[in-house]
Amino acid sequence: MDKKLVIPGEFLSDDPSLADEGTYVEDNKVFSTVFGIASFKNHVRVVPLSGKYIPKPGDLIIGVIKEVTYSNWIVDIRSPYDGLLHISEFPRRIENDEMSKYLKIGDSIMTLVSDVDANMKVELTLNDQRLRPIKEGRVIEVTPSKVPRFIGRSGSMIAMLKNETKCNIFIGQNGRIWITGRDNEMELAIKSLLKIERETHISGLTDRITNFLKEQKGEKVQVKKPEKKQKTMAEDKTEPVEESIEETEEKKESEGILDELLGNEK
Amino acid sequence: MSKPEKLIESGIRLDGRRPDELRPIKIEVGVLNRADGSCYFEFGGNKVIAAVYGPREVHPRHQQKSNSAVVRYRYNMASFSVEDRKRPGPDRRSIEVSKVSREALEPVIFQEYFPRSAIDIFVEVLQADAGTRTAGINAASIALADAGIPMKSLISACAVGKIDDTLVLDLNKDEDNYGQADMPVAMTPDGRITLIQMDGNLKRDEFKEALEMAKTGCMAIHEMQKAALMEKYSAQIEGENNE
Amino acid sequence: MSNEIIAELRKDYIYNLMIKGEREDGRAFDQYRDLVIETNVINKAEGSARVKLGDTHVVVGVKIQPGTPFPDTPDQGVIITNLELIPLASPVFEAGPPREDAIELARVVDRGIRESQSIDLSKLCITPGEKVWMVFIDVHVLDDGGNIMDAASFGAVAALLTAKLPAKRYDLGEDSPVPMRNVPVSITAVDIGGSIMLDPSLDEQSIAGTKLTVTSNQEGDVSAMQKSGVQPLTTEQINYIVDIAIEKAKEIREKFLVI
Repeated sequence: MDKKLVIPGEFLSDDPSLADEGTYVEDNKVFSTVFGIASFKNHVRVVPLSGKYIPKPGDLIIGVIKEVTYSNWIVDIRSPYDGLLHISEFPRRIENDEMSKYLKIGDSIMTLVSDVDANMKVELTLNDQRLRPIKEGRVIEVTPSKVPRFIGRSGSMIAMLKNETKCNIFIGQNGRIWITGRDNEMELAIKSLLKIERETHISGLTDRITNFLKEQKGEKVQVKKPEKKQKTMAEDKTEPVEESIEETEEKKESEGILDELLGNEK
Repeated sequence: MSKPEKLIESGIRLDGRRPDELRPIKIEVGVLNRADGSCYFEFGGNKVIAAVYGPREVHPRHQQKSNSAVVRYRYNMASFSVEDRKRPGPDRRSIEVSKVSREALEPVIFQEYFPRSAIDIFVEVLQADAGTRTAGINAASIALADAGIPMKSLISACAVGKIDDTLVLDLNKDEDNYGQADMPVAMTPDGRITLIQMDGNLKRDEFKEALEMAKTGCMAIHEMQKAALMEKYSAQIEGENNE
Repeated sequence: MSNEIIAELRKDYIYNLMIKGEREDGRAFDQYRDLVIETNVINKAEGSARVKLGDTHVVVGVKIQPGTPFPDTPDQGVIITNLELIPLASPVFEAGPPREDAIELARVVDRGIRESQSIDLSKLCITPGEKVWMVFIDVHVLDDGGNIMDAASFGAVAALLTAKLPAKRYDLGEDSPVPMRNVPVSITAVDIGGSIMLDPSLDEQSIAGTKLTVTSNQEGDVSAMQKSGVQPLTTEQINYIVDIAIEKAKEIREKFLVI
């Protein structure tokens, strides 16, 4: 058994050396700390179904300026901790009294977490080619722990989304996603992203979303699985044997689900 | 209602329950949009709603702790939740209930994971029928899990009392008013007690028995809490499969 | 009300939709979100209602008890309206006694009910000069999704329409319904870049320059009005809002709030 939905305090393993994220060890046993999906491949870890973003150095995220002080922009990064962007981390040399001219309250930025100290003081930077203020397009918010799902195995999900919608999509580690493109294409991308957010736990997600997108665009769609289900429902009473086969298949599917939810495994 | 002659006759209580029976429980997880985690909990005639915000910035700043999250619990009864309208705002009882409830949950929360932040728990009683604090703790536990707050385990709570010299589980309003003892208890699934209060009169061995009864009640509630959380998730799967 | 920062990007998006005549959730400018009103939800209250208006969720309890009348109205019952923006309902609500937002909401809900003469206060008299029925309307906001004003008002009216005077409990005869004779309906509009939209969502409310609530009664008369927010409104805008509010109130009254 590979994956399992667990609640806080649920027993996971007798081997404390396997304990990883989302677990704690007591009496030489490993337990879950959160309500989420436990995986047992190699190490034992639990990915929570919800929760706040806790910044780590190296994270690429999207922030919103909430305050401008003498030498820092204070940035909302969707975390219990604010990010601090020091004036020296701005890509150009600017004066302290010009700060609002370049970044004012309400402006959105793509930024990098450069450091997080023991007191959870979070330092941000804009000094990087990849980073920039966000001036057009739209930003939506999803659950931070589901970010790997949006990226997909080896980036497959996000690559497919970009391809099908012709939009540029940037997924911040803090669960903020920036989309740019034409109005109706952005609308489509956002619909798909919200669908992913709702359905992270369902199997064959990449295919479902691909089909969804094609449907929305009026293209031909692959229709295999839905047919099977209808057949079972219609022949409910007369073919009990078929039903049980269906059940086993669904069970296999649900184990596969959790696999994909966890995204790239170490 | 004036004191009934008997609160329990031939092992059956006035509301038809046996001594070790809990009142019906209904649980809904994630009922609020703005809160990070929430739970609606019905326990007999009690209707409570719990919400969790956090971890989040601490306001006022001076309440911040440099090496851990600060856990705050606010238990409040709506004016219309009781027979005689209650003036809005905290009274001495609510403040005490808030304190012991917070102390019931704090031991299992991994506060040290979130220095300089707050984990705020709010419990509103919309309808009261004895046992609101235990209903609140049960709901708050679920709301914490719903919010993704890391914990050692859930906490489950129920009250044991004595009526007509018989120990009973989960008192209702009349049993609480006219009974001989009332003892709310909260504990972890492995039986460690995080809340215990008592008023009334219990002999030494009655107390031992009462505690065992409470344990059984709490274990049963823990199963229901777990089921409610699991159900929220699988309901989503079903919903999507039926599309 | 809110001190959360809304990203400029988001404001631009809503504004651009407005220019195209659209709203984020696809509603028309004069359309209300899904509205669900359930009554008799709290058994300890003499009347109660639970309202879900889009993502906004409120519970209203009506408690009725005998009490002493005000000296200047010795033969009239008393209505007292209170509203709690409990911290459970939003990250920006703080615990503590009601502050200006909650007080304003309570007073406007109260005004709508009082000024429309919807309750015949003289019928709430028990013994003139000594004992009258005190009607406490308590609004408990559980989830703020925008436009708490209307949700609270619908809830208060629905709770009153199904409330009973608990005469039996106080040995004053048989229980009877609260004497409601008119049904006030509050309609709230916001101004976003010059366009008027009804029933603002949370973000629409935060972005709007100003908000106007118009409460009208069955006859289509205006019984209460409140402008909330700093931006000025023109006479044309106000008259326009009053017109559509009266029409919309009729719609909502017919569907949800019938005596």
